[in-house]
Amino acid sequence: MPDFFTPQSRWAFMELVQVTNLTKLYPDADIGDQPALDSVSFTAKAGEVFGLLGPNGAGKTTALRILATILKPSSGSAKVCHFDVVNQSDYVRHSIGYVSNNTNIYDRMSAWEMVEYFGRLYTIPEDVLQARISQLFDRLQMKSFRDLPGAKMSTGMKQKVSIARALIHDPPVMILDEASLGLDVLAARALQDIVRQLRDEGKCIIYSSHIMREIERVCDRVAIMWRGKIIDSGTLDELAERHQENDFEEIFYRLLLKGDDQSLSREELLA
Amino acid sequence: MRWSHINLIFTREVRDQLRDRRTMFTVLFLPLLLYPLMGSVMFEVAQFHRETKVVIGVVGAENLPESSAILDESADPAVEWKVIPESSRLQQCVESFLLPTSGRGASHDAATDQTSTQPNKRGLEACLREFGCDSIVCIPPDFRLNKWHVPVKVISNLSWERSTIANSLFNRIVESEHKSWLRDELNKTELGSSVIDPPRLHTLDVSPPDQKGVFLWSKLLPFVVLIWALTGAFYPAIDLCAGEKERGTLETLLCSPARRLEIVWGKLLTIICFSLGTALLNLASMYITASMVIGRMASLPNAAISSVLAPLPIQSLGWLVLLVVPISIMFSALALAVASLARSTKEGQYYLMPLLLVGLPLVSLPMLPGVSLSPGTSIIPVTGAVLLSRSLIDGEYLTALLHLPTVATVTIVCTLLAVRWAVRQFENETAMLKDGGRYSFKNWLRDAWRKRDDTPTVNEAVVCGLLVLAMLFFGRLSLGLSEVTWVNLAVNTLSLQIGLMLGPVLIMAVMLTKSLPKAFRIHRVSFPELAAVGLLAIAIHPTYVTIANAINNEYKLGEETIAMLKQVDLVISSAPFWAVLVCLALLPAITEELVFRGFLFSGLQRSNGNLRAILATSLLFGLSHGVLQQSIAAALMGLLLGWIAARSGSVLTAILFHLLHNSMSLSLSINGRQGNVPPDWVSWAIQYESGVWSYTEIWSTLSVGVSISLIAFLATRPWVQPRRVVVLEQAG
Repeated sequence: MPDFFTPQSRWAFMELVQVTNLTKLYPDADIGDQPALDSVSFTAKAGEVFGLLGPNGAGKTTALRILATILKPSSGSAKVCHFDVVNQSDYVRHSIGYVSNNTNIYDRMSAWEMVEYFGRLYTIPEDVLQARISQLFDRLQMKSFRDLPGAKMSTGMKQKVSIARALIHDPPVMILDEASLGLDVLAARALQDIVRQLRDEGKCIIYSSHIMREIERVCDRVAIMWRGKIIDSGTLDELAERHQENDFEEIFYRLLLKGDDQSLSREELLA
Repeated sequence: MRWSHINLIFTREVRDQLRDRRTMFTVLFLPLLLYPLMGSVMFEVAQFHRETKVVIGVVGAENLPESSAILDESADPAVEWKVIPESSRLQQCVESFLLPTSGRGASHDAATDQTSTQPNKRGLEACLREFGCDSIVCIPPDFRLNKWHVPVKVISNLSWERSTIANSLFNRIVESEHKSWLRDELNKTELGSSVIDPPRLHTLDVSPPDQKGVFLWSKLLPFVVLIWALTGAFYPAIDLCAGEKERGTLETLLCSPARRLEIVWGKLLTIICFSLGTALLNLASMYITASMVIGRMASLPNAAISSVLAPLPIQSLGWLVLLVVPISIMFSALALAVASLARSTKEGQYYLMPLLLVGLPLVSLPMLPGVSLSPGTSIIPVTGAVLLSRSLIDGEYLTALLHLPTVATVTIVCTLLAVRWAVRQFENETAMLKDGGRYSFKNWLRDAWRKRDDTPTVNEAVVCGLLVLAMLFFGRLSLGLSEVTWVNLAVNTLSLQIGLMLGPVLIMAVMLTKSLPKAFRIHRVSFPELAAVGLLAIAIHPTYVTIANAINNEYKLGEETIAMLKQVDLVISSAPFWAVLVCLALLPAITEELVFRGFLFSGLQRSNGNLRAILATSLLFGLSHGVLQQSIAAALMGLLLGWIAARSGSVLTAILFHLLHNSMSLSLSINGRQGNVPPDWVSWAIQYESGVWSYTEIWSTLSVGVSISLIAFLATRPWVQPRRVVVLEQAG
């Protein structure tokens, strides 16, 4: 438990996500055990959108799956709301809302039933639950398809249901993994608005994407991942200053080009 | 485990399945429609069958006397006669069909005798086809004069079903005509026709009317019900595990507050629900249809079927329903465990066949004649439950009650084991999330080599165990005991033990592991433990003998096996004692223990698998013995050996135990056979009686207490766990 009486420790208490030296190895018969995550560390605070930017296969999903207690780390530690993801996974699952393109919704359940089901799994009292679903459906403009079965929904509708499902227990931490994948311009914009609103409410949001513009638009701080490692991180301004480049896409591209040469360490990259 | 979560998951999954059209079709509509449809098809076929007649062609019809049953339409309604005109080709063929011996009685027997003559069979068969006849009979020219002394040629193709019928119908017609002629002839003499009447036997059937025809039902229905219970469990299981993985909804559930155990139980309850539903609906539908069909058939004239089949009494149906419950639960747990292995529904479908292959023998075993409920059969999963329900249907309530505890225990233990397996699958992230990639044997080998560890992996151990079993099976078949001599016996044992067990395992160990001592679990053991194990081996031997005798009483050995074993015993007792000890006690102790409690155990023990290692090695150890009676005893012993090996963390204790155990058995049997009198210092424990050394009552009883104390002593020793294998480099 952190000490509350020094300014630094209070700051540390705000860090709802703490990832330290997280490593995950996947067995692979073709090329041997592959580190999908290689000693990754980052923190994210309440009221902040923390972006994970990286091309496909950089290890973003693996990191977020570990945070969501779906995978167990090979080594290192990860804490959500100061609960350990391995030993206190029950508490962690109660403190997060997890949306990824691997968390689909049930085809044969309506939007309302889906959200209701997960609300009940969080053991929310029934009257509170109904009020909360109604409020969420209003806020996310989902009333029009509340009784539509999942199979008949569009991608945008499905994503809204997923977000409502993840928000039903009002978690302090939201994890959005490639949440805008397959969304059209309107739906993607709506998602970004929701993310900003949630941040303003004081939630800690981890937002992963491979699209730079999106990260630029919603994130306060960014970590750029490449081949299981974080190759640079900081606020957008810090990154721009460090690389003397205002175009964020250009920074990303340059880092990746450098990172392609695997022999370079992080220090050499930043030099 | 929180019941509210399980209940939530259960209700959701059931509702989800009920909203699925395919499930509803197989579970609800198929049984409701299938049996009435089958019933109506049966009626159709029955009608069709009655209307078709067999055709018997008659050559030389002009040679028949005026009154003859041949060509008489009223002789048999199932026969259609067809007069075949003379044709040269047929004539030639028929002439090639020479009769072996002229004279009486040759007509029927000679026709089927294929060795004595060389007829033109091909030509005759062509004639049968050409004239559209199922059989052709040739009436010779002098038939009219000398009806019963002239041989009649009958041409049939006995590989055709209809031709067989035609042949036997013709025989019957001719015989009955002959009989009536005989009656007439006898009536003319003073003997009278009654001398050829058959002896009069009257059988009184004392079975109660409602038990009539239950016999067939009680054998058939459990089988049908079980197949449906398995089918009803399997498809929802695939949909609930592999299907959800495929649709990407499993991860949603995994990151919800529901724990893995709760998810598994929720899904298991759903599968049980559908398995039960399918089985019961099928049972009900089949029962109603069958009762109606049987009722209808019984009302038909000359219905022979009503004597074999009668409607099943309703209380018997109740017992069947009771049977369905434990079986459904067991199959559901098994189906869930197997389905959770699958990454996609397609992969899941592949697992149905192996599951059926495992399930079918268990279900069909009770259908074999003479298999009934006994202590032996009641411990076999599924089989025990089927036999229990059968004895309930047959009204043997006392037998059923006696075996109920065993059957219930076996069912519950099997279910819990399957659930445990399923939960492990759900906790295994590669099974849950990784997609099945391309598989290449070369890469697998390379990977296995690269990842070589101190001990084999679980999969390698399982494969190795099955390989050893297969090798032993073929080895035993090919070696055989041509002549039971000591040298043959020794050579066989040596080649089986070293060539087919230790050899291959040693090769695997060298290839797959880095450290032979660790792979074979050769670790030092403290002296007190070693001593305790040694004493235990001696102290538990009387109990083992009692159990082995009980097993031999329960599953009687075949005559041939007994004779063989006797001969082996004889050979052993005449061989030098030290050689017997080395060959049949020391050698098996070392090889079998290195294989089962060494290599296989170290692999299966990985990642907290002590229980798995004990159960699996005991099962494999039992199976490796080849003879059922020995297998059961060995499997029981394997449990104890496994426990000792796990406890002490070393194979050495198991080798010592095995060596002492075998030596005890051998010395008892050899000394008994040689007629030695036990020395005084063991007379309190061993008695001699007519060529058999056995344990005294007092030692048999005492030794149980000694064994329990020794086991307790071992149990209080600290666990020796295999050193945690660190595969991953600690980062940072």
